[in-house]
Amino acid sequence: MTNLNKLTIKEFRDGLRAKRFSARETTEACFRAIKEGDKKLGAFLSTNEEPALETAKSVDASLARGEELPELAGVPLAVKDNIAIQGLPATAGSRILEFYKAPYDASVVTKLKEQRAVFLGKTNLDEFAMGSSTENSAYQFTRNPYDPKRVPGGSSGGSAVAVAADLALAALGSETNGSVRQPAGFCGIVGLNPTYGSVSRSGLIAMASSMDKIGPLTKTVEDAALLFRNITGHDPMDATSVPSHYNRDELLNFPHEKIRTMTIGLPKEYFATNLDEKIDNAIDSVIKRFESAGITIKTISLPHTKYALACYYIIMPAEVSANLARYDGIRYARIKSANVDHGNIKLKELYLKQRGLGFGSEAKRRIILGTFVLSSGYYDAYYKKAQQVRALVRKDFEDAFKEVDVILAPTSPTVPFAIGERTADPLAMYLADIFMSPSSLAGLPGISIPVRSSAPYSPENLPIGFQLIGKHFRESDILGLGQYYEKS
Amino acid sequence: MASPINKKILKHAAELARIELNAREEDRLLKDILNILAYFKELQELDTTGTEAAGIPKEQNQSLRADNASEGTNHGAGVESFPETNDGFLKVPAVFERNNDEP
Repeated sequence: MTNLNKLTIKEFRDGLRAKRFSARETTEACFRAIKEGDKKLGAFLSTNEEPALETAKSVDASLARGEELPELAGVPLAVKDNIAIQGLPATAGSRILEFYKAPYDASVVTKLKEQRAVFLGKTNLDEFAMGSSTENSAYQFTRNPYDPKRVPGGSSGGSAVAVAADLALAALGSETNGSVRQPAGFCGIVGLNPTYGSVSRSGLIAMASSMDKIGPLTKTVEDAALLFRNITGHDPMDATSVPSHYNRDELLNFPHEKIRTMTIGLPKEYFATNLDEKIDNAIDSVIKRFESAGITIKTISLPHTKYALACYYIIMPAEVSANLARYDGIRYARIKSANVDHGNIKLKELYLKQRGLGFGSEAKRRIILGTFVLSSGYYDAYYKKAQQVRALVRKDFEDAFKEVDVILAPTSPTVPFAIGERTADPLAMYLADIFMSPSSLAGLPGISIPVRSSAPYSPENLPIGFQLIGKHFRESDILGLGQYYEKS
Repeated sequence: MASPINKKILKHAAELARIELNAREEDRLLKDILNILAYFKELQELDTTGTEAAGIPKEQNQSLRADNASEGTNHGAGVESFPETNDGFLKVPAVFERNNDEP
């Protein structure tokens, strides 16, 4: 059997159990695809071939002995390089962690190891997950698989490309403000940003802790449900994780009859901006499809939408300035060019050199901006104000969800932009995530799903994504509607 | 608010953040941050009097673990990843300056 790397998780799971192919063959097919394709794409920062093959072989051996297998046994996955896998690098896309190896497993990785999933390697990202194009990585560019001159989105661009280009069956990414949904939209795949608190972040390198989440990037909505239901759950190692609210079966098999009784809200503020005509038409086609299924569509208002991005760009850097204080050259890796002579250098000098040379420009910008907005004399004008606006943004959603079950909007205001197009102007880059901030600030679950295209993707026909935003802990609703769209 | 940040304030924030910047970086950062702060201006137009600042959602407030002593799990592994160690301890450059005049 050829092209096993093109399988979905569901197809792999069924085929493995029917003995149409082995887990080892599938993992080998992924590594072949990586070796052939990744030089051009730049999705992976490091690979994990031998341990991956060992896991796959042990799954095959269990199957041959007739043992019961966990749901994700043998599934070859890519993992964003800010999620810890014991013994493997975890650079977070930064020079400052170039020589760092993770001493423990992230809790999501522990769960996936219990599932006997296969880890192919670690994927490229914007430094410390700060960016919307993966161009801020200290190591390499990652290219959009449908037009190498364009970006894959970010910051989980490596994970998105690994899935879109069939280098992996699925991947893990992380999202603070769009870093799963936006690259999924740009690469024509599915990205699920779970409810804040539903997936443990223990072992995720922190960026902005009041918004960071880990989420799946997959080829289908069904796969996102399969991956999500196996990584969610309370974890004492992450004090913000909450006891599970989920019905495992409902996450995967949302009842069909309930779909027709749902109401979808269209926030008028998301459609008021000058949306690219192609995106407008694509979203229209999605709305029509839901309408023809008997779903009620209703225009709603989220009045504080226009303040959300500015609000996010105050709160996030403030949290960044605290979270990134730990990369001081003492406890984690030390950059070589800090050139430390232990007898002579003073502690403060080491800090200044390590951090001045080790962080890239976007990380520096955010740390210093965050330090400024938190500083005495400016705190009330910026940070406190932003937290008040955040409360208003949350309230908008609370009100809207009294009227509708799910909110539908474009994932991004544009199609994937060209490499280099926005790097000179940080604000232009930030605006790529304008449709992401309100739900990020409110901690709501969201999923980006590719709008169906009659022609294959190409530089003239680039992927477009739409997003469904659900109520807190109602991933079932957005996964259910998403699966309905995918299969209808 | 008139120009909320200037070179002096920027340099001070960078020092507080323990980041060494060269002159080119300082100029570029000042320009970028002024642009970003200008974008924040639209927040000022919004009246938030009486709005309570957003805190941690209540679902997240209930998950603190019980206050029981337990053993740490990865002391050894953490030490192995330190850039410099001595006898299993973390090695740190001198914090204080030696004053040669004193005995």
